[in-house]
Amino acid sequence: MNKLTVSPSPHVHSGDSVKKNMYGVIIALMPALLASLWFFGVGALVVTLTSVAACLLFEFLIQKYLLNRAPSILDGSAIITGLLLAFNLPSNLPIALIIIGAAVSIGIGKMAFGGLGNNPFNPALVGRVFLLISFPVQMTSWPLPIASRMSYVDALTGATPLAVLKEGVKSGQSMAELTEKIPSSINLFLGNMGGSLGEVAAIALIIGLAYMLIRRIITWHIPVSVIATVLIFTGILHLVDPQQYVSPLFHLLTGGLLLGAIFMATDYVTSPMSHPGMIVFGVGIGVITVLIRVFGAYPEGVSFAILIMNAFTPLINKYIKPKAFGEVAKPVKA
Amino acid sequence: MNNWKIFANGLLKENPTFTLLLGMCPTLGVTSSAGNGLGMGLATTFVLVMSNMVIALVKDFIPDKVRIPAFVVIIATFVSVVEMSMQAYLPSLFASLGLFIPLIVVNCIVLGRAEAFASKNNPFRSILDGLGMGLGFSMALTLLGSVREFLGSGKIFSLAIYPEDYGMLVFVLAPGAFLALGFLIAIINKLKAA
Amino acid sequence: MAKTESTLVNMLLTLLVIAVISGASLGYVYKLTKAPIEQAKAAKQQAAIKDVVPEFDNDPLAEAKTLQSEDGLELKMFPAKKAGELVGVAVETLTNNGFSGEIRIMVGMQPDGTIINYRVLDHKETPGLGSKMEEWFRPQAPKADATADQETSFAKWLYGIKASGGGNRSIVGMNPGKNKMIVSKDGGEVDAITAATISSRAFLDAVVRAYKTYAKEANLSTDAVSGATTKEGGKNYE
Repeated sequence: MNKLTVSPSPHVHSGDSVKKNMYGVIIALMPALLASLWFFGVGALVVTLTSVAACLLFEFLIQKYLLNRAPSILDGSAIITGLLLAFNLPSNLPIALIIIGAAVSIGIGKMAFGGLGNNPFNPALVGRVFLLISFPVQMTSWPLPIASRMSYVDALTGATPLAVLKEGVKSGQSMAELTEKIPSSINLFLGNMGGSLGEVAAIALIIGLAYMLIRRIITWHIPVSVIATVLIFTGILHLVDPQQYVSPLFHLLTGGLLLGAIFMATDYVTSPMSHPGMIVFGVGIGVITVLIRVFGAYPEGVSFAILIMNAFTPLINKYIKPKAFGEVAKPVKA
Repeated sequence: MNNWKIFANGLLKENPTFTLLLGMCPTLGVTSSAGNGLGMGLATTFVLVMSNMVIALVKDFIPDKVRIPAFVVIIATFVSVVEMSMQAYLPSLFASLGLFIPLIVVNCIVLGRAEAFASKNNPFRSILDGLGMGLGFSMALTLLGSVREFLGSGKIFSLAIYPEDYGMLVFVLAPGAFLALGFLIAIINKLKAA
Repeated sequence: MAKTESTLVNMLLTLLVIAVISGASLGYVYKLTKAPIEQAKAAKQQAAIKDVVPEFDNDPLAEAKTLQSEDGLELKMFPAKKAGELVGVAVETLTNNGFSGEIRIMVGMQPDGTIINYRVLDHKETPGLGSKMEEWFRPQAPKADATADQETSFAKWLYGIKASGGGNRSIVGMNPGKNKMIVSKDGGEVDAITAATISSRAFLDAVVRAYKTYAKEANLSTDAVSGATTKEGGKNYE
């Protein structure tokens, strides 16, 4: 470290670093982790530990032996990928599949593009979608909360509220019939429902969001624009025909919407840089999510929506540039 | 360039799939199994050889300004011949390749070789070039098909290697085609560089 | 040899000659392959019919009849006769309710509508999921011996593969006139393919359509069928 670095002023350092922000995100994920341990017990523990360990291992192996770089597994990014991947999996997912998911997340989602900072797609979501398409049977059996605390792969399973809804609408049941099968809003808010292990507890995710906003790890633009878009879009549908379209509150509290909006859409590397760009990005995610949930074949669409908008990020960055300091807005030449 | 070099050119050095990245539509579309890949490759080879030969024979009669429409008509004729013969004599292969056979017409390799090679060389060399390119294409498609079939459903040429339940379905579907092709190209580039 | 000049006459003539030659050769190949193509198609149909009905000695293709289903789809019925007596019918049926595109199935039934066997002719369902319908709705083969099972049980645990036996998967022996042939999730008697309920529903929809159309033709009772379909609100639930 004897090299002198010459860089333009100002030279005041805020103490920010990749590592510091990454560990901030990890702390913000803790409430959701605790909630998942409460609801899914042993399964959540096994899945989370396997996923994090496998992500770290693959990061180390690929950096050291394939890319011939000094391994940087402790910068926190692989831990976050591992945690987020686990949060997107059912808590009864067998070990082999978690390891495959971790290999895809790190190997294909991140390292194939050149490592941290170069990946266009959120690595954890790449892993999850790969697993969802490859092993649809295992990836869509959801353990019941609380009842399956003490068991892992042989846990009792049931459908997620979103899947119940999709099935019901497809087979022509009325909304009144369906509402009986869906957990109450308070249970949805606390997380007492079937689902992937990190997405169930809305309250824990919101605590994480509050922490990240206060510590200024992320800004409000992406989470708020995603959530607002989903609320407005489903609200309009609900107002048009309450018999066919469920209330916006249900869409907000079920599935991976909060997890996606708060933790995955806000990934620095794969989201736009400017604030207006972030809002465009968030609105896009909200619209695609609702389109898939309401009109698509899959009951849940947050992860697809985020990956699709990830692909648009370079375009958004190109056309909605952050203004440089001191720059005066110029009229665009026709 | 001697005859052997013309033939070998398409196999690896200018392999249409792995080096030139031409004809991606059938490459990604039909290679869900090794058998499909091989069938598509051989059908394309036939069209390539025949169209290369005919174009090399008639190249001097065709005025420059209309050479592309003329080439396309010739190629389309051979594609239709392949389509009808396959429907008649290999109905099961036709069932799985059906949609992609007519698309051989717009495969860039076929028109590309007609324009870049056959219209400047004699029929014998053009046949060799078509054969080399075609076999290179077949080889690439069969390799890609084998990888996808093996990872996706545990089989190669429909021969079970491990139980289907353990396969990663994504490789049989379209996204897996992109992944598998990308990694194959990466590996081949690495081997070439070494 | 000098290259032909690009004059208008030359260009027109060249293209005309090329078009005429390729047109003529295509016509010739078409004539050559017409008979084999039809034969191949007929052979495919014949094989499918043979698969799903008992032995027969007539020519079901010659006696085929095109029927209209209630909702206006065209179904083909092939009667299978032995010594002049009707031993079964094969109905080529279809549905548009699949996950993607049309599903065509050949269903074989006894004269009273009891299902003998079926064969999926054409579908575009997801490989590995909906495509399982090719085998799923048949009776299960007896389990391989337990020792072989033991060896792979660790791998199965590692991948979370559950034994998929049991339940009421098979439609063979059921009669859509007497059984409720919808998936068990919707209150019927048939277990859907794991993680492919939409494809399973579509499959059963096609089978029931075959029965209803045949029953109308043969004047069989359709009470149970109409009872089973009221829940779907008529015919299409998508």
